[in-house]
Amino acid sequence: MVPALWKLSRKPSVNNMEGMEMICFSIISACGTARSMYIEAIQEAKLGDIEAARTMIKEAQQVFVEGHHAHAELIMKEANGEKTEIGLLLIHAEDQLMSAEAFGILSEEFVDMYERFGK
Amino acid sequence: MKNIVLICAAGMSTSLLVTKMQKAAVEMNYECKIAAYALAEVANVIPTADIVLLGPQVRFNLAKLRIAYPNKIIDTIEMRMYGTMNGAGVMEVVKKAIGE
Repeated sequence: MVPALWKLSRKPSVNNMEGMEMICFSIISACGTARSMYIEAIQEAKLGDIEAARTMIKEAQQVFVEGHHAHAELIMKEANGEKTEIGLLLIHAEDQLMSAEAFGILSEEFVDMYERFGK
Repeated sequence: MKNIVLICAAGMSTSLLVTKMQKAAVEMNYECKIAAYALAEVANVIPTADIVLLGPQVRFNLAKLRIAYPNKIIDTIEMRMYGTMNGAGVMEVVKKAIGE
């Protein structure tokens, strides 16, 4: 039997799906953790602990960088002509990354705001 | 049979972890039901759960859920375990938390 065309056109760039899955998961877990920490920072500020909130944001930024590196690796591969297989999991990973990035920016604003309210 | 509930943002990425955990559970000879749900479904699935594990993306809900369900075992999945899809590792955590 001749394999379906879409199967022929789906040549995974990262040698096996397991590898791609792993990269996506490291993006999701690092960025997801960072996103949670940004929100936890806002929650700390809400309770009045501005110091703890700022520390939490700094830690979250470190965690976020890990996810960002995994993502940058894929971008670099693609820039070198190695096509990335786009799956729902990768889209989800990028979604988490973007969401974490936005929460990171906003969490600083929120903490500043709570700080001003508390004065 | 223990009912293990995993919660993440969409229930999608975590369903892959479920597969790994199920495999590990079979190897451990541990009878259980494992399923992943979206955060929006929490209220429907918690009542029958023996343990609830939150993915790193939704772990900021931990305090809120622990207050809402004080009699349930609710915990988070550690980032490294989640990132490496360490099904066996998460199963160990589950067994310890349930007390077996």
